[in-house]
Amino acid sequence: MNVPYPFPAISGHENAKKALMCVLVNEDINGILIVGDRGTAKTTLVRSIEAISGQKEIRTIPQNVTEDRLLGSIDIETAVSEGGVRMSPGILAEGNRQILFVDDINLLREEAVHSILTTSDTRRIVIEREGFSGRIETKFILAATMDPAEGELPYCVLDRFDLCVWLDRIENEELRTEIVRNRLLFEHAPEEFSAGYEHRVASLREKITKAQERLQYVSIPDGHLDLISDLCMELGISGQRGDLAVARTAKALAALDERDSVVFDDIKLAALLALEHRRREAPPQNPAVPPRSGTDERGDRPHGDAHANTGADNGGNQTDPQQPQQNGAMESFADTDPAGTPRDAESVFGIGSTFEVIGYLNEKSKIATGRQKSGRRNRLICSDRSGRYISYRLPGKNKTDIAFDASLRAAAPYQQFRKNENLAISLKISDLREKVREKKTARTILFLVDGSGSMGARRRMVAVKGAILSLLTDAYQKRDRVGLMVFRGKDARLLLPPTKSTDVAVRLLRSLPTGGTTPLAKGIVEAATMLTRGRYATPEENKTVVLLTDGRGNVSSGGHKDPSEELSDTAKKVVATGIRFVVVDTEEGHPRIGMARKLAGDLEATYFRLEDLDSRRLADSVRGMLYGMG
Amino acid sequence: MTDEKPVYPFSAIVGQEDMKDALLANIVYPSIGGVLIRGEKGTAKSTAVRAVADLLPRRRVVGGCAFQCDFLDARTLCTSCRERIARGEVLEPVTATMRVVELPLSATEDRVAGTLDIEHAITKGRKKFEPGVLALANGNILYVDEVNLLDDHIVDLLLDAAAMGTNYVEREGISYSHPSRFMLVGTMNPEEGDLRPQLLDRFGLAVDVEGEKDAGRRAEIIKRRLAFERDPAGFCQQYEIRQEEIRQRIERAKDLVVKIEPDENLLRTAVKISLVLGVDGHRSDLTLVKSAIVFAALEGRSSVEEKDIITAARLSLPHRMRKGPFEESQMEFEKIRSVIAESYISP
Repeated sequence: MNVPYPFPAISGHENAKKALMCVLVNEDINGILIVGDRGTAKTTLVRSIEAISGQKEIRTIPQNVTEDRLLGSIDIETAVSEGGVRMSPGILAEGNRQILFVDDINLLREEAVHSILTTSDTRRIVIEREGFSGRIETKFILAATMDPAEGELPYCVLDRFDLCVWLDRIENEELRTEIVRNRLLFEHAPEEFSAGYEHRVASLREKITKAQERLQYVSIPDGHLDLISDLCMELGISGQRGDLAVARTAKALAALDERDSVVFDDIKLAALLALEHRRREAPPQNPAVPPRSGTDERGDRPHGDAHANTGADNGGNQTDPQQPQQNGAMESFADTDPAGTPRDAESVFGIGSTFEVIGYLNEKSKIATGRQKSGRRNRLICSDRSGRYISYRLPGKNKTDIAFDASLRAAAPYQQFRKNENLAISLKISDLREKVREKKTARTILFLVDGSGSMGARRRMVAVKGAILSLLTDAYQKRDRVGLMVFRGKDARLLLPPTKSTDVAVRLLRSLPTGGTTPLAKGIVEAATMLTRGRYATPEENKTVVLLTDGRGNVSSGGHKDPSEELSDTAKKVVATGIRFVVVDTEEGHPRIGMARKLAGDLEATYFRLEDLDSRRLADSVRGMLYGMG
Repeated sequence: MTDEKPVYPFSAIVGQEDMKDALLANIVYPSIGGVLIRGEKGTAKSTAVRAVADLLPRRRVVGGCAFQCDFLDARTLCTSCRERIARGEVLEPVTATMRVVELPLSATEDRVAGTLDIEHAITKGRKKFEPGVLALANGNILYVDEVNLLDDHIVDLLLDAAAMGTNYVEREGISYSHPSRFMLVGTMNPEEGDLRPQLLDRFGLAVDVEGEKDAGRRAEIIKRRLAFERDPAGFCQQYEIRQEEIRQRIERAKDLVVKIEPDENLLRTAVKISLVLGVDGHRSDLTLVKSAIVFAALEGRSSVEEKDIITAARLSLPHRMRKGPFEESQMEFEKIRSVIAESYISP
């Protein structure tokens, strides 16, 4: 609908552009994921490939796609008008031979991601629903984007993208100015701007078409095939997907370069695009070439792996006619990298082995991905009407949230047998389907901190501040809220209302008052009251209080009761609210009285000792407790 | 909306110049990308946004189009308009006033994105798309009060539509897409939680409003408010001349904006500022340049001066300055000033 920005007008991001072209050339490549911070032209890049793809069209899969539209379902219209059961294809089927685009795939719900990736992998959709069973063959190019600040993808999802590119932040002033200038020109007069690039778009289109034709003739020399599998083994990449992805991409790169044979540089770039996101562990700080880097191993290799210019290995490269070009290509490639490749890296490049590529990957690697910890938010199927409609089911007692589309489909096959009173369709109670809605659950974590004048106050505060900030990072991605309440003197004060805002937190944490007496019971009551009232009252929310105290309350709120007795009573009452407690014991020195331990018992809380934890560990422990159990 | 009930006139709002500037800038040059107004309760945030309705320019839209497609811009036409052209129909323009479409917090996803027209499906046996708020918002202002409290999945919808200028609907048996280019205006009270940086970055400008501290001006605010409540129509009448002045100022600025060419110096300054501050992405560079242009245009000038860039920087940068979640995000305005001063040595 809108004029897309022309592909050749996009400045920088050379690897991403290469990768996108590869995906167009070799349709066997299963999916490309573009990762970048907000505003780094991720969406622009993907949308621009339509024009260079030739005949292909981009179909967008929106965030709120429902199951029926994704996979396909019974066509209401045919069913009603002809009484026939006909399959109405979903986007995955409609996308056959086209480009499917998912923006912010890390925000899309898991089942949808799974369906998309499985279909991309197996190239077929199997449907067994609504009395229809069928199988549709479909093969599409999948392009997705994500902003890591919004949460990571789990390894098993990442692994299913053959290619993954990180968009660098462009620091080069010239390049940035060019980007702004072009963008303004484009917005001012999109058609005129695009017309200026039409020639280059056309030649890219032609280049891609030619490469597509050439692809079937491109071969990978045996030695290079070995290199690919060595590489995947060295990098600890499980499964065959990585190997295949490198091979397919290398072939596409060769075809784009109008060669019939894959050369070392193709594999090097292909490995960067196809393997980096599949590595499980963070790259080592010093990508030193391991001493084991068998000269012996490589000595046997017939092709000698391209150019070797450090003394270690001289496997036949002198006779390789392609060497000069390759060097040239490599250099220009290094130049286009805005981060700048250190010159001395060339010695690493020169060795010509698995380790050369690994070293290269380490140089280029952006972030360690494939963390087991998924940033995906917790989701919950909810009973009220507030969530997102994702699917349908047979209704329960209250038929208030009817999924009309699903009900119509359920009724459709029977229309020819039913009487129809001036309506196009006759619905029976048994046809009714109810919406299944899903909502992201938010956790509320409240730190309840003893701010009294006792010895450890300062140290406690340091630990707490650190822990709060650390938890807030997680909380942001999971949309959790973290708050802080401090009790001292006569009362408990909510210093940081549960917030997702890291800004507010940082500001408020800068000055934390300490000193005074310890109204411990009061603090617990206030915290519990706050979490069961008003905005925080929603029952499905998971609420945790992290209490930092030595357990020695010395002010009672009632006046005549003994503080410790009152504390015990309060604790037992509070347990009934369902709020989860974590007690971090701040007692120091000897002899220990163990009041906090007792309190933890009364609160049925998880218990830690502050002495054993620094702020980082404190955050980790709380995190482990919260998310490990989820 | 509130077409009948008079709204408090924009020109009668006391003070809050940044907020007013930011709103006017967006009316003149919608591609700046909207404005976020942050402030405590009772700082005339909503009043100002609603008051904007009376100043909005008229535009030519396609007659009979559910999405009010821009008549003058053939490339943004919706599918049904395109189909009409394909059938050989000649599209007729009608005049519509740009308006403020409110997105209530309680809005369900169906109502925001649009959904299957159930009545049509049941009575006619045909699938039909029933447009939602994102359709109404096309070419208009989409206003979200307490935008920070909006449900996450609704926010995702807004972000997608804002990113692509198109609302893609693939749900409940319906496959549809339509243009949805809107100017996003949000108000929020920061005490109730912040916005996701992704959404924050989508707002072209952000202003922080504070309650008026000057006793005289406070009294003036109350006086005007009471006068308005007593006789809304009469009060508006009183301000009509000033309102008309603003409308004309907007029209003039709209003409000027397209004529101002961003010079190299302005572009470089914007880029340097972004680099110094370490902002993500390129949206800040672009917005800075665009808003500097618009502030010059609003003053009736056809060239950008240093003060335009300073105003632009003040309104377009603070909400993008955070690098990581925990790096301190103090407004390093002095740095910005020195970058600007270096590039614009006063004659």
